[in-house]
Amino acid sequence: MADHRFRPVSGEKPCCDISKKARICLCVVFGLLVVVIIAVVVGIVMWRQPPQHQEWKGAGTTAHFYEIILGRCYTYTQIVRPELGHKDCQKIGKAFTNAFLSKDPCGSTEQDYQPLMELTNQTVPCDKTLLWSKTNELVHEYAWVQRELFTLENTLLGYMGDGLRWCGDLGSSEMNYQSCPDRRKDCSNNSVSVFWNTVSKRFAEDACGVVHVLLNGSVHNTFDERSTFARVEVFNLHPEKVHTLQAWVMQDIRNISSDSCSDASIKNLKLILSKRNITFTCEDNYRPIRFLQCVKYPEHSSCRSKI
Amino acid sequence: MAALGRASSLLSLLALLLVPAAGAGGARWRGEGTSPHLRSIFLGRCAEYSSLLSPELRDKNCTAIWEAFKVVLDKDPCSVFPSDYELFISLSRHSIPRDKSLFWENNHLLVTSYAENARRFMPLCDVLYGRIGDFLSWCRQENASGLDYRSCPTSEDCENNPVDSYWKMASMQYSRDSTGVIHVMLNGSEPKGAYPVKGFFADFEIPYLQKDKITRIEIWVMHEIGRPKVESCGEGSVKILEERLEKMGFQYRCINDHLPVKLLMCVDHSTHPDCALNSAVTSTRREAPPLCAEHGASLFIPFLVVLASVIQP
Repeated sequence: MADHRFRPVSGEKPCCDISKKARICLCVVFGLLVVVIIAVVVGIVMWRQPPQHQEWKGAGTTAHFYEIILGRCYTYTQIVRPELGHKDCQKIGKAFTNAFLSKDPCGSTEQDYQPLMELTNQTVPCDKTLLWSKTNELVHEYAWVQRELFTLENTLLGYMGDGLRWCGDLGSSEMNYQSCPDRRKDCSNNSVSVFWNTVSKRFAEDACGVVHVLLNGSVHNTFDERSTFARVEVFNLHPEKVHTLQAWVMQDIRNISSDSCSDASIKNLKLILSKRNITFTCEDNYRPIRFLQCVKYPEHSSCRSKI
Repeated sequence: MAALGRASSLLSLLALLLVPAAGAGGARWRGEGTSPHLRSIFLGRCAEYSSLLSPELRDKNCTAIWEAFKVVLDKDPCSVFPSDYELFISLSRHSIPRDKSLFWENNHLLVTSYAENARRFMPLCDVLYGRIGDFLSWCRQENASGLDYRSCPTSEDCENNPVDSYWKMASMQYSRDSTGVIHVMLNGSEPKGAYPVKGFFADFEIPYLQKDKITRIEIWVMHEIGRPKVESCGEGSVKILEERLEKMGFQYRCINDHLPVKLLMCVDHSTHPDCALNSAVTSTRREAPPLCAEHGASLFIPFLVVLASVIQP
């Protein structure tokens, strides 16, 4: 049989009058064009997207962080403590964000916060410093009623940062609203932890006279050596200025067990302080704060039986 | 806005030097001047309330709320009406949890302490439109644009001033949105009377309570520790309030020195004899007889008397 090519049968109509080779060529060119267009579009989309932040295991920067700290600064300096009315909140706000923007959120240092610290210097009167550990709600309720006492969160910087979260990123000048480093799961030198260590240290260094601390007698580690109180504040009290640390150990009103001042961890605290030449006194279930607990459980027997 | 305000206040200061001063120190009005950095405080509080305290309010647009509010800063300080805040209120209002409303007169700080930042109760100052304006002051200058930072009119200067109109509008809305059990805290040691017959509660809150949404009203008459008991339940102005509520058809109950609040007051006076808890426990109650059982009241009241005498030592 002769080797011959097949010609299209007369019934079929050829498309566009182009040879098969040309058709293949066209398809390839067309395909390449589509690929190029897709690549360009994807490239544009990616370029316009904000640079991706690193992903961390903790919650991201608080929404509207800057407005919140600015508003708090003004509320504090104009209304809460008007004697600080001369403070420049715009500068303070900028110094706060400069401490962590465009920086590695796991490489935060005390130096990052120095400009902010200098702008927010504040004297707390002697005998009015109130430290705390594991008594967040109770201590602040008490400080609200006893307005001449200062917890860290009643100072300008503490007031500004209370309850907020923040972090930046080395590769970006924006705040990371998606996630921020978790202290345990990511790193301990994160922007927020370093902030609180830095301000706690200064708060303790500035204290004078009798310093009070509100501790929780209902948890097993009343004096916890890993707490900020233990690690930072106790060690930065100046014995030349602070002669006594008085602890108020409060127990949950529904479960009052034995005397918490004789707790082993409290004895440990006493030892640490005596080595530093600071007198330690302890009071169980300090009465004014007991009243505060009673507000929640007014019918409880320990609220009735006391005279 | 602030720069303009400062420039204008500088001008008005110059004007005051040329013109004899009106009052002490040259201040035009009796009230505090506009709070400095008003806009920043406003936006900060709005942002904080929306994002930190109430996650369900995340859709509140604080910039829009400010824009709605600031129209009054362009108005004559004696021509600002509650209705001028209508848009502001409509953008910032939100629901109030049932049974959590707390009205008050003459005990602002005690109320904020007791409310525990909206955890226990939600008084007006813990609602968005109340939180934003709390402790602030604002007004335009009388004869110029720009804010007056020296003084702002009080009700004694003129009725339709920016701050009073704000609180009237806020109070009315707060009342309208209150449901369930309504609580009122009054100061029984206030010399002028615990229930001001002309005041925000009387004029802008009671009239706007929604009867069909309210189960009953609970009045607490608190007496300050170590201060005289000027009025108690069933006496003086408190009696006027009770009668008014009864006439309006509300179920009510009046309690003297409601124990949880009394305990809170004792935090500050722990060694005072009034804070000896035995006596703090007792309270006298006055109740409106149930509307549907008026003939039953003849038995009900003696029963209450017996009960009260059993409780009191």
